[in-house]
Amino acid sequence: MNNIIPNVLQMKGQFVQATWETLYMTFASAIVAAFLGLLLGVALIITQPGGILEDGVLYSILDKITNLLRSIPFIILLAVISPLTQFLVGTTVGTTASLVPLVVGIFPFYARQVQNALLDVDRGVIEAAQSMGSSPLEIIFRVYLKEGLPDIIRVSTLTIISLIGLTTMAGAIGSGGLGDVAISIGYARFENDVTIFSMIIILILVFVIQFVGDYVAKKFEH
Amino acid sequence: MTVTDNVIELKDISVDFPTQDKAVKAVKQVNLTIKKGDIYGIIGYSGAGKSTLVRVINLLQQPTTGQVIFNGQQLQKLAPVELRQARKKIGMIFQHFNLMKSRTVLGNVEYPLLGGKISKSDRRAKALNLLELVGLKNLANSYPNNLSGGQKQRVAIARALANDPEVLISDEATSALDPKTTKSILKLLQQVNQRLGITIVLITHEMQVISRICHNVAVMDNGEIIERGAVAEVFTKPKQQLTADFVETAINVKDALERIGNQEKYSNGNLLVYLNFIGQTSKKSIISKISREYNLDVNILFANVDQVDGKDIGYMIAEFVGEPKTANEAIAEMKKDGIIAKMINSNKE
Repeated sequence: MNNIIPNVLQMKGQFVQATWETLYMTFASAIVAAFLGLLLGVALIITQPGGILEDGVLYSILDKITNLLRSIPFIILLAVISPLTQFLVGTTVGTTASLVPLVVGIFPFYARQVQNALLDVDRGVIEAAQSMGSSPLEIIFRVYLKEGLPDIIRVSTLTIISLIGLTTMAGAIGSGGLGDVAISIGYARFENDVTIFSMIIILILVFVIQFVGDYVAKKFEH
Repeated sequence: MTVTDNVIELKDISVDFPTQDKAVKAVKQVNLTIKKGDIYGIIGYSGAGKSTLVRVINLLQQPTTGQVIFNGQQLQKLAPVELRQARKKIGMIFQHFNLMKSRTVLGNVEYPLLGGKISKSDRRAKALNLLELVGLKNLANSYPNNLSGGQKQRVAIARALANDPEVLISDEATSALDPKTTKSILKLLQQVNQRLGITIVLITHEMQVISRICHNVAVMDNGEIIERGAVAEVFTKPKQQLTADFVETAINVKDALERIGNQEKYSNGNLLVYLNFIGQTSKKSIISKISREYNLDVNILFANVDQVDGKDIGYMIAEFVGEPKTANEAIAEMKKDGIIAKMINSNKE
């Protein structure tokens, strides 16, 4: 053991902490991004052409904002967004500071995924709800979000996995986490076992999240 | 509000769909009045504009021009909240059922009552009652994906009835179903009409559907109503070629004519006669009388008796073996008896 992973064994505590940091960054930003993303995704679906509150102007504005935010490479977004981070968190470095760019980086992606998931809700079912006198709000909560739930769970899983990917880059602003360990310790000090071990932990996290996501999505499918 | 027998009045309705170079006129200047308690059929081929027209009734489709009047109220003048209240009184069922697959059968029927003033237990009881009406109480806890097409449509009917509507719109509700299931769904619609007094507006491309349950019918083509009236009347005396096509397809005369026309011995010289009996005349023994009195042998090649809106209507294609002159006299005699009779291949006499 000592021969295969000599450095890893010396920094057990650091790995535990880094794993927690990764999980914290992922899920804390996921909660905020889920809220913003659902809001934007639903706004896109109802204002798009043929939507229940069709609004060409609003749709094209939201659509462009979504595309614009998605086009910024995350590593640059980390730097560009620092004034906002400073304003919201009071500092631009550290684990909590990384939540701001993570949320901004992921929620437009999530919004698109939500839009696509809701696009699969049968148009006829929406029409039936309208014919029964449902209000737009009722249609959003009782039809779109309920009928689309299994797909929303699926795209949420996908988004969380992408988010783990982004947290590893947040190491660039001193966020800590497994990505930081892999690069600033494993890579920088030529301690390959640290890099590989970080990767294995991340892979395990991804597998577990995927498994749970699939399981829950199936539960809601009838 | 004026008291009126007309539950639905469409006045000068036009619907244009803008496309890139020109507007497609889906519905053109249609006027339609539907009386309380009626079962009104609208028939036409796909693309005739009938789906668009019925969607105008509950304003799922905004007409480009014209007035939509429901129970004396012009729907276009209502605020969104009032329109939604009015829509609750107009139930709708669809070709593809449009049930929510995330909800159970019971949940689907309860859906229209969610957010209403009704308590949870009353809501459940009402939904179960409706499921009993459509014969599916035992499937209350199943999900739509586990049901057959006919069962899904029954659930959709129960759901459409949950708000105690005055009108039920059926948009090709039987088109995705097999003939036997179609029959049972039509029967259910008839019961809904008779027991609950709900007016039904039904659109279809099948004349059998119209003849089985409708009292009145409008024939649509290219965005216009080209013919309308009582079903028995339209069925027996179609004025437009399209209407005649629908009727002939429905009673299989068209197939029969083609089949018979293809046989050589009938296409050169034999006297083929097409007979149409309406109401009482279908019960008289006309053929044997003709055969006896005019000394003609009659070969029946095709015959069909149908019930249209409660009236018997018979169709027959027969070969008259004998002199053309006496055959013509026989035809004249039958016409006197109120039978529609004509020589089909008279040009080859």
